[in-house]
This record gives sequence, C-alpha cells and structure tokens, in this order.
Amino acid sequence: MIQVALSLLLLPLLSAIVTLLFLRKHGNIAALLSVATAGGILAFSSYLIFGNETGSVFAWSTPWFSLSNWQLDFGFLIDSPAKTLLFVVSFVGLLIHIFSLGYMADDQAKARYFGGLSIFMFSMLGITLADNLVMIFVFWELVGFSSYLLIAHYFKTDEAAKASRKAFIVNRVGDFGFLLGIIFTYWTFGTVNLQELSVTANLDPSLTSTILCLLLACGFIGKSAQFPLHVWLPDAMAGPTPVSALIHAATMVAAGIFLLIRIEFLFTAEAFKLIGLLGAVMGLYAGFCALTQRDIKKVLAYSTLSQLGYMAAAFGLGLPGIALFHLMTHAFFKALMFLGSGSVIHACHHEQDIFAYGGLRKKMPITAYTFLIGVMAISGVHFLSGYFSKDAILLGAYNLDFVIFCILYAGAVLTALYMFRLYFLTFCGAARSKSSSEAKESTIFMTGPLLILGVLSVLGGFHAFYPSQIVEFLLPDIARVADMPNHLWMNVLGLVAWVGGLVLARKIYGAQSGDKDPLAEKSPALFQLSNSKLFFDEIYSFYVKKIQDPFFRFLEVMELLFISGLLVRGSAGVAALFALLGKSFYSGKIHSYSFWFVSGTIGFLAYAIFSGGSN
Amino acid sequence: MVCSKHPVSAAMFMIISLVGVAALFVLLEAFFLAVLQILVYAGAVMVLFLFIIMLLDVGPQGGKASKMKLISGLAAGFTVSLLLVIFLIVVQNSGWLGEHSTWLPVDNEAAMTQGENLSFSTSVKSFGYGLMTKYMFPLQISGFLLLAAMVGVIVLSKNNEKEAG
Amino acid sequence: METVTPSHYLCLSLCLFSIGFLGVLLRRNLLLVLMSLELMLNGINLALVNFSRTSLNLDGSIFVFFIMTVAAAEVAVGLALLVALYKRRNSVFSEDINLIHN
Repeated sequence: MIQVALSLLLLPLLSAIVTLLFLRKHGNIAALLSVATAGGILAFSSYLIFGNETGSVFAWSTPWFSLSNWQLDFGFLIDSPAKTLLFVVSFVGLLIHIFSLGYMADDQAKARYFGGLSIFMFSMLGITLADNLVMIFVFWELVGFSSYLLIAHYFKTDEAAKASRKAFIVNRVGDFGFLLGIIFTYWTFGTVNLQELSVTANLDPSLTSTILCLLLACGFIGKSAQFPLHVWLPDAMAGPTPVSALIHAATMVAAGIFLLIRIEFLFTAEAFKLIGLLGAVMGLYAGFCALTQRDIKKVLAYSTLSQLGYMAAAFGLGLPGIALFHLMTHAFFKALMFLGSGSVIHACHHEQDIFAYGGLRKKMPITAYTFLIGVMAISGVHFLSGYFSKDAILLGAYNLDFVIFCILYAGAVLTALYMFRLYFLTFCGAARSKSSSEAKESTIFMTGPLLILGVLSVLGGFHAFYPSQIVEFLLPDIARVADMPNHLWMNVLGLVAWVGGLVLARKIYGAQSGDKDPLAEKSPALFQLSNSKLFFDEIYSFYVKKIQDPFFRFLEVMELLFISGLLVRGSAGVAALFALLGKSFYSGKIHSYSFWFVSGTIGFLAYAIFSGGSN
Repeated sequence: MVCSKHPVSAAMFMIISLVGVAALFVLLEAFFLAVLQILVYAGAVMVLFLFIIMLLDVGPQGGKASKMKLISGLAAGFTVSLLLVIFLIVVQNSGWLGEHSTWLPVDNEAAMTQGENLSFSTSVKSFGYGLMTKYMFPLQISGFLLLAAMVGVIVLSKNNEKEAG
Repeated sequence: METVTPSHYLCLSLCLFSIGFLGVLLRRNLLLVLMSLELMLNGINLALVNFSRTSLNLDGSIFVFFIMTVAAAEVAVGLALLVALYKRRNSVFSEDINLIHN
C-alpha cells in the first residue's frame, strides 16, 4: 500500500520533472506523457480505493524533519472522504487531460501546459492523501503555485498575467490565516496530525474554539473563493479552458471543502453557523452576479462560486457527507459544462462573448446536448445527479436552519435562471456572429470526455450504483437526510425553482437577436447592480492603491533611511573609517615609517617599564 | 651636523663630534675604546661616508621645504635639549641612579684575577683577556658578521647588466 | 654643580641620541639619515662606557667594542644599499624613492 501511495504521489511529479528537463520543445510527447500519467494516477487510485474493503483506513507516516522538540511528519491518511476525493480527482483529471489533447492541439507552449497540469495533479493528490495539517499546507501552497502557473499560460496578455498574480495573492491572504490556524492548533493541541487531533478533540471538546476554526477556515475561504476572498476566481478564467475546468471547477476549489471535512471535529457550533451562513450568502450573491455576465466562462465561474457556497452551507448545517456528495456531482456537471464551453470556444476561434454565439445546437449537437444535461443537472432537474445532492442540501436546510434555506432557495432559482439563459443564448436561436456561424463539432478528444461526463451527470446521483468504498463517507449523512420530514414539499419547491427559471429564461432570452442584454432594457437597476458584482473589486483596488501602497512606500523610505542607510551602510562606513586609518600608515615615505617604528618601540618600552614587571 | 645644508659639511661636523666622543671616553678612563673610536668610526666609517658623498655627487639640499625642515628641526632640538637639562637636574638630585651616582677608583691589578666577573680596568690587556675568555663566542660571531657584511657589500654593488658575448 | 657626575654623561648621551633621532626623522637626504643613525649609536656607546665605569664592570666596555663592530658592518652594507638605490632612482632623497604616488 505504501509503495502504491508513494508512486501515486510521485508519478505526476516525475512527469513534470521529465517535461521540464527534456521535453520543453517537444510539446506532443509531453502531452502524451501527461495523459499517460493521468491514466497511471487513475490506476493507482483505483488500487488504493478498492484495494481494501470498505471501512478500512490506511494511515502511515514517517518523520520528515525534526528540530529539537518538534517533529514534522510526512504521511498518508486514506480514509473514506479521501477515497471519494481521490476518485473524483483522478477520474475527472484523466478526462480533462484527454480533452486538453484536443483543445491545446494548436497551442505553441504545450509542454509548459502539460507540465503544469502534472504539477497540479501532484499537489492535489498531496492534499488528498496528507495526514497532517502542515503537509496539507505545503501542498496547499503548491496547488496555488500550479494555479498561478496555469492561469498565466497565455502570459503575453496583460489580462492573464494580472489574473494569475491576483489569484496567487488573494490565495496567499487566505493561507496566512490558515497558517495562523495551524500554529494555533499546534499550540492548543500539541499536534498537527489529523488522527491524533480527532482523538484529542473528541475527548475534550472544550479545547477548540471558534477563532481556531475560523482561522483554519481562512484557508478554505481563500482556496474555494468564498466571501470576501472570492475576487480571484472570475479573473482566473483568463487561463485555458481545461485549466478552468480542472482547477477552478472540479478539484482545487473543492480542496477547501475537503479541508473543512478533514477538520470537522474541531468545529464549534458557532463556527458551523458562521460557515453555513457564509456559504449560503455566497450562493445567493454569486448567482446574482452571474445573471449579467457576458463571458461564457465567467458565468460558469460565478456558478462555481455559488455551488461552493452550497457545499459550505451543507457543511455548516452539520452534513459534511452531503457537502462531499455535492462536491462529487458538482465536479461532474461543472467539468462537463466547462469542457463544453471549451469545445464551443475552440470551435468559434476563441470568441467568448455569449452574445456573439447563437444557433450552435445545429452545428455542434454533441456539445449542445451534453451541455444541456449539465445545465439541467445544476438546476436540479429531477433525478439527475445535481438534483440528489441539491435536494439533500435544501431539505437539510429547511429542517435545520430556515434562514439558510431561504437564502439557498433564492439562489437555486437564480441558478436555474442564469444557467438556462446561458444555454439559450449560446445554443439556440440564430447565429449572431461570423465565428458562430462557421462553427463545427469538435474532435473525438473533446467530445469523448463530454459524453462520459454527460453520462456521469445523469447517473451520478444514484449513490447505490457506486462501489461502496467511494460513497462510504456519504452514506451516513444521506441516510440522515432521508429520514427528515418534508420530502414532498421540497420536491415541489425544487420543481418550481427549475421550471420557473427555465420559463423566465426562455421568455427573456429565448428570442435573442441582438448584441445587448435584454435585462438591461427591462430593469436597468437590477442589471447595474448585478453587473457591478457589488463593487468588491473596486473596494479592494481602492484599498490597495490608496491605503496600502502609500503605507508601504512610507515603510520603504524608512527602510532606506534606517536599515539600508544607517545600519548597513553605517556599519560599512565604520569599517571604512578603520580602513582609512590603516591606509594613512601606508604613505611610502621612509620618514613616516621610521617615525611610527620608533613610536611603537617607545610605546612598548613605556609599557614595559611603567606597568607590570617585577623589577 | 643634523642641520647642515651640505652633506660634506655634515660629514665634517660628524667627524668632530666623533672625536669629541672619543675625548669623553678618555675622560672616562676607557683609553682603548677612545682609540678604537677614532680608528674605526672617525677613520673608517666617516671616510666611507665621504667616499659615497663624493661618488654620488650629492649636492646641497635647497628649496623652501628644506628651510622649513631646518627651522623646525632646530626648534625641536632646542626643546629636547631643554627637556634633557631638566632631566639632568632631576636625575642628579633624586638619586635615581643609585649606585651609579658617583665614580669609584679603578683597581687595575684586580682586573685579571677574577673569573667571570670582569672588573673595570684601564689597560688593554684586561680588554683582551675579557674578549678571549668571557666573550669568545661573540668575538667569533662578530668575525662572521664582518665576513657576511663584506660579501653582502660585494654582491650589492655588482653590476646587473649582462655582458655581451 | 661642582663636579661632573655620571648623570651628566647620561644626559649628554641622551642628547646625542635624541639629536641623532631627530636627524633620522627629519632629514630628506638618506646619507644624512644614515649618519644620524651613527650618531645615535655613539650616544649609546657613551652611556654604556659611563655605566661600565661607575659599576666597575668591564662588560660594558666590551659590549661597546661589539657595538662598534656591528656599526661598522652596518654602515658598509647600508651604504652599498644606498648606492644600489641611487643607481635605480638617480637620487638619494627620500621623496624620490616613494613608490606610492599620492
């Protein structure tokens, strides 16, 4: 088991290193290597998941480095949530690798892209398998780094460079809180190992505190782009579409939820409430913003934000299994929709404005219908995968916390609305621009994964179909929700939500023929509010420009004056003074030499005569 | 000597000074040393100096800088002499010298009867006696020293140009 | 003072020594520097003979003998060096043999 786990972790790292060293100019070979690695990852993960029977936990650790009284371990913890995430990451990862073969076929820097994908897989697997908080943090940072690398794939454009910087920096802010949380955890509990922490926390629940949980949740807020650190995700769409699918839909942003699940035993009741509320508000807010976006990928990005809010809300309600369930189904249909959008973008020669699309259903049928499946899944159309997880969350919210339910339900209506808006504008009606009228269906590399994900989006909700090792963590919470009352009422509400959204979308956007968003004409106030995204970006840039920058410039001047000037060059100056003093002895004049010689001798004599000496 | 302009004048003054020191040796009843002083110092060393002055044809030192040096040198010398006179008075009256404050009469006959403890005598014989017994080793060394000096001088004055052919 | 005491000779020796010392420090002509050096040695000789006489010990005088020997050898070598220097720099003045140009 150990060897398999180690090979699983190191295989993508090896592939990245080989790509970096040897395959910089051979993009095609790098691509094939990367895809093969993804296949290998799937094989190894399957072994890890199915190798032992259900319910077994594999834990192994080895000391990594030790200081005098503190030791850092490197280890694996493969328990039920890890197995679920491992399945999602490796399976969806492989499909996206295959998709990338088609999408990046005419890209110039394939080796860099596939190397970055391999590094990402390495880091993500590290987070999944890690058994202590510090190791999670290390791989957390690595994931942030690979995200930075991949967003900046088209680094020659200003937009991509700025977006990748923004992503990394905002992430870093969250990671700072995370690090503080880890230190605090170590201080309180004396260990960072997850298993030991759970034992200790269960024995003595009073040790933990809300502050501790919130600090640790800062990592989640940064990585999963929750309020207030959500500003980086829409900009991160500047990266290639498969990257958006893999990192910003299916896996990396899900790492935050996974972290929460891992440290669930530390959470106090207040912390649960706060996270739940935060998630619900995010769900509503992101849905609201997505209503007026023009870029197809940005709509999907906001949709991801919204669904992450759902997962957080589920966690906050005390249903981590449901959160993981929604993570899994979300990975399927979101990756499906992102890949579908990638197929559309590729076919329309990198045109991304949905108001420039139209009528693509006839030209790209496979893409269109799989995309439709994804849209229906996310909207909660009955008996698709999204329906099961979303319904479970709404039911849990209705029974456990009504406020959260109201917010989430409003979000669900908006979700259906904007998703169907996206579908109608992109695939229905008449072609509204030249690029969309010339589109044609993509190659099998791209449509294949779409079909597979489409099937999964349809069937993925039936947890009975899965092997038990994968859904082991989900079953207790699913059963708990199944025992709750108000099932029928919830079904009705859900039906109202998605049907209402579908009808509204059809009405407003179904007959779109021009370039302008019809919502702008119908209710400009709403449109403006939604488009502004509540001014978060503006607030942050104001803070950075007006408050942070002058302060740092002041610090810079201080540093220049005191540290560089006084301390560094001052001490150098003192040394130089001594040097000048010594230099003055080297005049070259015989007389000064003899003078100093005799002076020294006289000095010695004086010392010998007038001090010490027994005579 | 120290203040004079022309090196030859300086050498002349030096000779006079050395003869004066020799006279003082006579006063101190160290007759052998007095003669030695005349012979070696005034006779050989200063003549050598004069040879070199003539050889190198060193002119008088002129210019404003040397004038200033002269005056400052004179001033310094005067100050030092003053200090020394004061020192003389102080030393004489404080008895710092202890047993060296006065002269004692010299006993010539006792000179050669002692072993290791050489007694001061005015005769050359005791000088030779001391040199050959107590100071035999330094005598030999000084012989070697003179040999080395001779060889050194010869080497130093060798011409470094290669002869043609 | 009526008589000449050993301290007079000591003072004179000091005089000679300091005059020679000042000559070494202040003269630019290297020949004169060497001559002043000899003067210093003479001062020392005087002091030694004086102390030899007052302590009635011949050791002092014999030491003076050796000093004279060494001084002679030293003058010879010193002057040979001076001549070699003159061949290089064509001057016996100390400012002309300064390699460090300030």
